[in-house]
Amino acid sequence: MSVNRLHQLKSHILSDNKITAMTGSPSPLTTHVLNTAMGVPGSNMAINLYQHDHSTNAWSLITTGTTNDDGRCPGLITKQQFTSGVYKMRFDTAQYWASMGETCFYPYVEIVFFINDPGQNYHIPLLLSRFSYSTYRGS
Amino acid sequence: MTFDPNSVCHACWVKCLSSGRVQSGYNWLHKFWDLNELAAAERHRWTEWIMTAAESSPLTTHVLNTGDGVPAARMALSLHRLDSSMMIWNMLSVGTTNGDGRCSGLISRAAFTPGMYKLRFETGSYWESLGQNCFYPYVEVVFNINDPEQRFHLPLLMSRFSYSTYRGS
Repeated sequence: MSVNRLHQLKSHILSDNKITAMTGSPSPLTTHVLNTAMGVPGSNMAINLYQHDHSTNAWSLITTGTTNDDGRCPGLITKQQFTSGVYKMRFDTAQYWASMGETCFYPYVEIVFFINDPGQNYHIPLLLSRFSYSTYRGS
Repeated sequence: MTFDPNSVCHACWVKCLSSGRVQSGYNWLHKFWDLNELAAAERHRWTEWIMTAAESSPLTTHVLNTGDGVPAARMALSLHRLDSSMMIWNMLSVGTTNGDGRCSGLISRAAFTPGMYKLRFETGSYWESLGQNCFYPYVEVVFNINDPEQRFHLPLLMSRFSYSTYRGS
């Protein structure tokens, strides 16, 4: 068994992304964090996904996760949970840069977006440096 | 641009020059009064007021509509500072971008203390006013100010399905 295969099995067993482990179908909402300053994926960054609850006018936490070595975070939400509404993804950017011994102009980045058609797939990347970031709706 | 003795007194003219805002200062002065009629004392008072108003905010922004390749004019925005003891955001100013996508007077030097700030851009309303929808109902850029002596320029380049921001100069 190769080292890579062992790592894959380990992430299945020890993953805190229980959604993927149990259902096996990919999340309709994905992200990808890229550290554009260093030209590497933004790995080990804490991410939270929230959905806006109109009745209470508050954000309810759906998932907490951490980006993997490739800067991705599988299993953000299931197809069943993914209803129309307003969502927010929060990226703990300052904590990420602090873990590398650097400061960041942005303590965190929150991206708030509409989901009108939950039948589609939505890819929300974050391209990040210490003093800039960008995001877009990708595929 | 030479000194016009019929405009303002020499002292006020020198003040405008030294502020580095000659063009706007001079235009503002001419816009605000018929200089032959106002008494000298009033001219001095107006100059003081204009100089205070024209003193630029240490924090500026510039919103660009990259989808259409134009400045994002008439976009509502607001500046907030985090009250770290109460963990709530205090709104400091509200404004609307001008025809060039800029919004002057966000904060005064005196009020610009170290802390965590948030610039909120009403992107959803902006695109709605253009008859289009936008993926982002609003954009909030949260940033740390450790050294308020510096100037901070936070542009927002945005389209209906993307945006970016950076710390500029």
